[in-house]
Amino acid sequence: MREKLIQYVELLFAGSTVHDEVRQEILQNTLDRFDDLVDQGKSPEAAYQLAISGIGDINEILGTMAASPAPAQPEAPKKWSRKLVSAIAVALFILCPVPVLTFQNELGVCLLLAFVGIATGLLVWVGDNKAVEIRQRQQEDWSQQSELHRSISHLMTTLTWVLYLVLSFSTGAWFITWVIFPISAAVKGLIRAIWDLKEADNHET
Amino acid sequence: MSIAGDLIRGHTDAIILARLMRSDSYGYEINKTISTLSAGRFELKEATLYTAFKRLEDAGCIASYWGGSGAGARRRYYTITATGRDTCHQLLREWAETKEIMDKLLKLEGEQ
Repeated sequence: MREKLIQYVELLFAGSTVHDEVRQEILQNTLDRFDDLVDQGKSPEAAYQLAISGIGDINEILGTMAASPAPAQPEAPKKWSRKLVSAIAVALFILCPVPVLTFQNELGVCLLLAFVGIATGLLVWVGDNKAVEIRQRQQEDWSQQSELHRSISHLMTTLTWVLYLVLSFSTGAWFITWVIFPISAAVKGLIRAIWDLKEADNHET
Repeated sequence: MSIAGDLIRGHTDAIILARLMRSDSYGYEINKTISTLSAGRFELKEATLYTAFKRLEDAGCIASYWGGSGAGARRRYYTITATGRDTCHQLLREWAETKEIMDKLLKLEGEQ
């Protein structure tokens, strides 16, 4: 019965965030009561029932614990640093044809792709943090804007494909028409960056 | 008993402080004393008792420490602080006043 009582108290606190010492204190008091009742000649079953009813409403205790501070949320990067990263990404997009024009070989293409990749990664990172903050601010507003973002993105993808196929078939220059894709990504990133910057300004005012 | 129970519960802090004025004690011992002194008519629930301890500790009226006792049982003992003593005296004065007023208000007939 004593074991059962211990299990009962353990279960009572299972899943709660109370400190281990609190559980230990309540358990010891309850066990003391149980032992005392048995010493007084009560049957273990009766003592078990009385000890349990003596605990009372556990929510009283859990309520006092709720006042403890909640875990701090990871801090989103500051607005100006996001702007800086966006600016760097945009600069990379604008500069990405430079290596191709300079070297005019595989190295240039590789550098172009690297520029685009890094810039896109930066924008995704900024967009992610942005999303977290906006979600905290205004759920509705965000869903509307992300809807718009998505339709623009879809439209651009489709247009890119159409342009690629039309140009490739008409000119037959398949070896170079693929460049449309990185350019399209760059333009998309640029639009996104402008959008983000404008949004940040709107929220600041 | 329920009305008396509610009235007594309203003075949980004063009761705990008054017990601790005599000596350091732990949860069950205090509850046992309350039960004995009231001839089994009144007792606090564990949750109520614990919440009161927590409140008094936060207010700086009592302090706690872990003490061992006999068969390896670790108990949390409570001790009263200087602030707690002042609070206790104040609560006793308030109670004396309340008692005096209630006695007068509830007097049915006879002398004033």
